[in-house]
Amino acid sequence: MITVTINGKKIALEKPVTILKAAEIAGIKIPTLCHHDMLEPYGGCRLCLVEIEKMPRLQTACTQYVTDGMVVWTETEKVVEARKGVLEFLLINHPLDCPYCDKAGECDLQDLVVKYGPATGRFAEGKRTHPESYDDPIIVRNMERCILCARCVRMCDKVQGASAISITNRSSKSFVEPFSGGEYNCEYCGNCLTVCPVGAIMSRLHKHAYRPWLIEKEVDTVCSFCGVGCSLTLQVRGNSIVRAVPKPGKGLNKGLLCNRGRFGYDYVGSTNRLDSPLIKKDGKLDRATWSEAFAYIANRLKKIKETYGSNSIAGIASGRCTNEDNYVFQKFMRVVLGTNNIDSVAGFAYAPAQKFFEGIFGQGVTANPMHGIANSDGIFVIGGDPTSVNPVLGLQVRAAHQKGVPVITSGYMQGLKMFSSKSLIPDTFTETTLLASLLTGLMKERPFCGLNSAFEKIIRDIQPVEIKEAEEICGITSKDISYAIDTLSVMTNPSIIIGRDILQRAEGHTNLLLLAALIYLLNGRIYLLSELPNEQGLVDMGCLPDMLPGGRPVTVDIFRKRYEEFFGVEIPSRSGLSLMEMIDAAHANKIKAMYVMGEDVVFNVPNTKYVKDALSKLDLLVVQDIFMTETANLADVVLPSLAWAEKEGSYTNLERRMQMLGKAVDGKGMDDWQAIAEISRMLGFDMDYKDSGDIISEMARVSPLHKDISYKDMADGECIWPYKGEPLRHGMSIEGIEMPDVKFPMIRPERKKIYIGMDNPLFHAESLSRNSAALHSIAPEPYVRINKALAHELSIANGDYVTITTNSGSIELSAQIDSDLPANIVLIPNNFDGKGVFAVMSWRMNPVIKSPAMDFTEAVIKKIKGAEVLT
Amino acid sequence: MEKFLLRNIENPNSTDINEYISVGGYKAISKALELKPSDIIDEVKRSGLRGRGGAGFPTGMKWSFAAADPKKPKFILCNADEGEPGTFKDRPILEKNPHLLIEGMIISGYALQAEYGYIYLRGEYPRAKDILKDAIKQAHDKGYLGDNILGKGIRFYLHVHQGAGAYICGEETALIESLEGKRGQPRIKPPFPVNEGFLSKPTVVNNVETLANIPYIMEIGAEAYSKIGSPDCPGPKLYSVSGHVKNPGVYELPMGTTLRDIIYAHCGGIRDNKKLKAVIPGGISTPILSPDKIDCPMDFVNMPKHGSMLGSGAVIVFDETVDLAKVCLRAMKFFEHESCGKCTPCREGVGWMRAILERICNGSGNEKDIELLIEVSRNIIGKTFCPLGDGAASVVQSFIKDFRQEFEQHITKEADKEIKAAA
Repeated sequence: MITVTINGKKIALEKPVTILKAAEIAGIKIPTLCHHDMLEPYGGCRLCLVEIEKMPRLQTACTQYVTDGMVVWTETEKVVEARKGVLEFLLINHPLDCPYCDKAGECDLQDLVVKYGPATGRFAEGKRTHPESYDDPIIVRNMERCILCARCVRMCDKVQGASAISITNRSSKSFVEPFSGGEYNCEYCGNCLTVCPVGAIMSRLHKHAYRPWLIEKEVDTVCSFCGVGCSLTLQVRGNSIVRAVPKPGKGLNKGLLCNRGRFGYDYVGSTNRLDSPLIKKDGKLDRATWSEAFAYIANRLKKIKETYGSNSIAGIASGRCTNEDNYVFQKFMRVVLGTNNIDSVAGFAYAPAQKFFEGIFGQGVTANPMHGIANSDGIFVIGGDPTSVNPVLGLQVRAAHQKGVPVITSGYMQGLKMFSSKSLIPDTFTETTLLASLLTGLMKERPFCGLNSAFEKIIRDIQPVEIKEAEEICGITSKDISYAIDTLSVMTNPSIIIGRDILQRAEGHTNLLLLAALIYLLNGRIYLLSELPNEQGLVDMGCLPDMLPGGRPVTVDIFRKRYEEFFGVEIPSRSGLSLMEMIDAAHANKIKAMYVMGEDVVFNVPNTKYVKDALSKLDLLVVQDIFMTETANLADVVLPSLAWAEKEGSYTNLERRMQMLGKAVDGKGMDDWQAIAEISRMLGFDMDYKDSGDIISEMARVSPLHKDISYKDMADGECIWPYKGEPLRHGMSIEGIEMPDVKFPMIRPERKKIYIGMDNPLFHAESLSRNSAALHSIAPEPYVRINKALAHELSIANGDYVTITTNSGSIELSAQIDSDLPANIVLIPNNFDGKGVFAVMSWRMNPVIKSPAMDFTEAVIKKIKGAEVLT
Repeated sequence: MEKFLLRNIENPNSTDINEYISVGGYKAISKALELKPSDIIDEVKRSGLRGRGGAGFPTGMKWSFAAADPKKPKFILCNADEGEPGTFKDRPILEKNPHLLIEGMIISGYALQAEYGYIYLRGEYPRAKDILKDAIKQAHDKGYLGDNILGKGIRFYLHVHQGAGAYICGEETALIESLEGKRGQPRIKPPFPVNEGFLSKPTVVNNVETLANIPYIMEIGAEAYSKIGSPDCPGPKLYSVSGHVKNPGVYELPMGTTLRDIIYAHCGGIRDNKKLKAVIPGGISTPILSPDKIDCPMDFVNMPKHGSMLGSGAVIVFDETVDLAKVCLRAMKFFEHESCGKCTPCREGVGWMRAILERICNGSGNEKDIELLIEVSRNIIGKTFCPLGDGAASVVQSFIKDFRQEFEQHITKEADKEIKAAA
């Protein structure tokens, strides 16, 4: 026990903390500028100087740790004088442009000078000058205001890991600048903006458009961009969102955000938002009233159901919609329309991967707290770059690496380039061989634990791949593979982070088996990367062709019976169609009607032309969305729905934490669930929910997993796996799981051919960022990433326009040259209207996991001659 | 007195390893390698050697702290970032007697069980860089460096790292930051470098002259060494004398030689037989002394008693023709330029002092400016992150304390101004 006395107040402490912290515990405020709770002590501003008895000099409270018996004074004459002196020094070069500065009103320096500073300054000479910089798309830097607390630099280096900014020059001529005039690695996370105490680093989006005292309300909510589920606060004036800010220390992001969460919310206020229901008349979508639209949909659905049967109808749900929307959606499909044909893009990778792993290891095996990544003793990442798919989760990997935790990455990952102990980049489409060789090596070093003998038997039968063989096929040296095996073999509870790329392969199912074996051997914790904010919720709510709410298989009688009894209806005992099967079935005229809630199917499903053809053949296509998407264009009825900031409800993130959204503004559309309830009523099935709370309480009775949960649990942050319910225990058997063949082909793609793959850029988010002007200002142009050697061979320079042609189509893009990418693959993002990778990508059905295999689309690349600007 | 640190430097080939060996060089190594590492540390402790960089910390004690830390590997760094105006005492060792430094570092490395040593060399010493690199190669070829030193299975490697021209990198933690490839700024202490230094490992940072003393201690023994010069801080000391003396240069004298002896006995007195006005005894950051204090022995113990510090032993002599206000301004320009910018008082305050001094020196100062200067310096002293800002402020204070009239003569009184204007 340590006893310290601060200003005569005695406090007892368990362990030594800084004087600053001790004072905070004692309720004594010591002013600071360079200190920030998210950062390491710095001791630069000298504002927190305090007097310690028996020490001749004043000491900085932020760096000095308390010792037993220490006596500290924080308001003596000496301290007050020093503080006043420091503030006077700070104002020497700080411009007094407060009336014009956006920070005024929430500026730490302004507040401190008011409280402690001298009334007048005595500095007579001119202040330093430095032009305001607009070099960055969404950040404006005014270095005249900088007080050199270095919070931004420390945030960028130590927390974000981008190392994009640094202090240049010396003395009062120091400025925070990019290393090399614009050519730098800024990730536009804006976390520097969070920590800047003055108006030196500000958001360009809010320049002169924002005054803190004009904020009318603040709404706590969860970010709408990816599966991490960062907490953020929306600041609202009138009916518009003024700003999105993180709350220090709050949520699982602990005050951090990425560029999308911080800047991308502006899609909500986009002028492109749908504001009225539309019904197609004579091939043209016309405005209609809500009741006309509902009646139209109900009549047509009724007729199709009667004529062609329930299974001629299919529904596509969305990981952007809430749990409440998705629950009501699956209920509508199963109970009202009588079909299990429900799926979403989560069925491409996230859901099958989860299902596979849960089949082997038990339900909830992927529900691991995110902060566990930074605390694990090793990390293996494959199939996606966490720093761009789930940026704030990616920071955990970076933090772990900075602490010295070994990180092995497999595949092309720009964001972890500086943060991996070994980066293995196998030749295109040879991950299976690499994984198998890692497994073969590990089996020699790690004995089986005997916990799951059935699975151990399967692992033993997996065809071994020796390192030499992998070296030849994957193009990675034996030394590197051995290093990875050695590093992995000593990990005791590593985090295994898996992205979708590894699944959307012809051998996707084999990759899953190999990964499961690896996880079993290493005792790993699984983290599945998730691009959508509610991908997990969609799965848990039963928006899958084979799963009821709570992850209960529809094919198992007792679960289905329980569901049927609850609603008093019968539902099909067989699984429904997966999304890709629905597209195929629509093509074959077997699906007659499709109900799409919040998904741009045309844009987000590979082979655009094929999808369009399929959807055009439908008798009825209903689309609920917030924008006029390419899918909505094909629809017979379009219903405008509410955006994330306009509704109440909940999301379940990738660690299976349920979190509440907050309604910040009013929208012109209708809640997705409400529209469905209205149609349902017209079809003779009443769904009388007053609000989203009613849905959650019904869901809590239907899903055995979510027993008795409520919004209060979510608000308290207690809605984490396994909630209060009963997870489905598979026991230690693997019955019912379709196991891939353990003798797999060793794929050797032809090195001469060029294939296309999907790029996941940090600055965009699936289809949503298309309507965010802010995100578009960072990366406005669609591109194709090309290997340096390949580009050289084709005489393509950075920024040149090229045509990519495949058997599915052709697009024109600007080239981005990249030296780390394997030579025979080019990557195209799927974030730009009409220029997405799916326009040219073809797919085949993976027979085991029913997800589209997107590898082996061959492409021809041609430079467009003389085309300076494409319109 | 027999020279040791500057032995053989008159020889034009003094940097040749064979020449160095011919005057007894690299003998201390053989002697040291016979001892246990802990015995060497004890020997250095008993010798009473204190760090020659300026702070005068007992070297043996610093070594024993690093040796006691269980973390491995350990590092020995040589601070050759000699950048303080007036200081050029290390330069003859670096350029003329590099093997003495190398020998000292090998012994220190063995004593600390460090396998790597780095010489952090001042960016403005390009000649020394080439000479040191060449000398290291020679020592390597002769088997004094490498995996198996003198066949005893001892491993030690030495590297030269050239700084980029920042005075602050002479501060040991800033030096370590810079060596790690970061911006040269001081670190928070504790942890001290002896526990968490270079790459967070136990690290000893010693001045060139300190390390050059190690072979001497090995050669003559702690007993004999401790009898040289001042009893509390014994040993030979290099004094670099500049300014208005007849024979400026680097002098190797016993620690505790008085300023008067240095100026008049060794440097031949004041140039053109002018009167002495003031002396800065230990480099620009040490307080200036008036002529009545020059009988003070130049060592770590006695200088503070006379209101200044030994510092690096860089004596700057000013005769009666010098305008000390301008000297003060020049010093402030240096400190402003070299302030790293990390802490507020140094970054902003030193520049402010410079601005006021500039005002005074160009005749536009007023009567309140001297008081303002003192107040600003008070707001700096004791509040900065590292000693750089403190040094700058204490220079101003010491100049004004003893030579206030030098500043006042630049200030035209308001009353006089009015008279002038009327005329």
